[in-house]
Amino acid sequence: MRGHPFLRAYMAGVLLPTWVLLLVLAVYLIAHAGGHVPAGLERAIVFPMAVVPNTWGLWNLLYVALRLRRRLSIGAFGALLPLALVPAGVALAAALDLRFYTAHQAVVALPTAMAAYFLAWKYGVAFLNRAVELR
Amino acid sequence: MSSGGHEFDFVRAQLRAALPPRRDLALEADLWPRMLRRLEEAPARFGWFEAVLLGLIAVMLAVFPELIPAILYHL
Repeated sequence: MRGHPFLRAYMAGVLLPTWVLLLVLAVYLIAHAGGHVPAGLERAIVFPMAVVPNTWGLWNLLYVALRLRRRLSIGAFGALLPLALVPAGVALAAALDLRFYTAHQAVVALPTAMAAYFLAWKYGVAFLNRAVELR
Repeated sequence: MSSGGHEFDFVRAQLRAALPPRRDLALEADLWPRMLRRLEEAPARFGWFEAVLLGLIAVMLAVFPELIPAILYHL
């Protein structure tokens, strides 16, 4: 497995949020069946379904392409991603008029998201990178 | 020497003539850097810093449960 390292990096990055998306969808469907879902929440799924996995893939591709492994741990690099994703999520939520996610909540959520991303990248994405033999 | 010994010498000479001598007996690359890389790639261990981060996430989600959808929105 020596060719196409950028494609492998992209796919390894995309995999973890795609699995989490299945969990989120399951929770959404269960809540929807129980009638606990506020109207219009289904529009929110655009962000975790389209934007988040692709951004993870591109972020991992960037980590491999720039050969950052020697200078920066993959966990720290992953923890920087919410600095771009959280404002984008707030902007999309505002554009789609999603009331469950405001700028104030985003400020509180940012450190938590960074901590969660650190662990997810250090253990999850790093494992997947090793699995696809990315050095 | 017996005729068998002559036959062996003949076969040995024929083989030497047919197969060119190998010149690349040395290793093509230094294997030590690869060995070091393997050693560096030891699986990440769960230390005190990771435990603090996990605790921070748990505390934040317990104190602010309204953050759960926001975190899921970004995963």
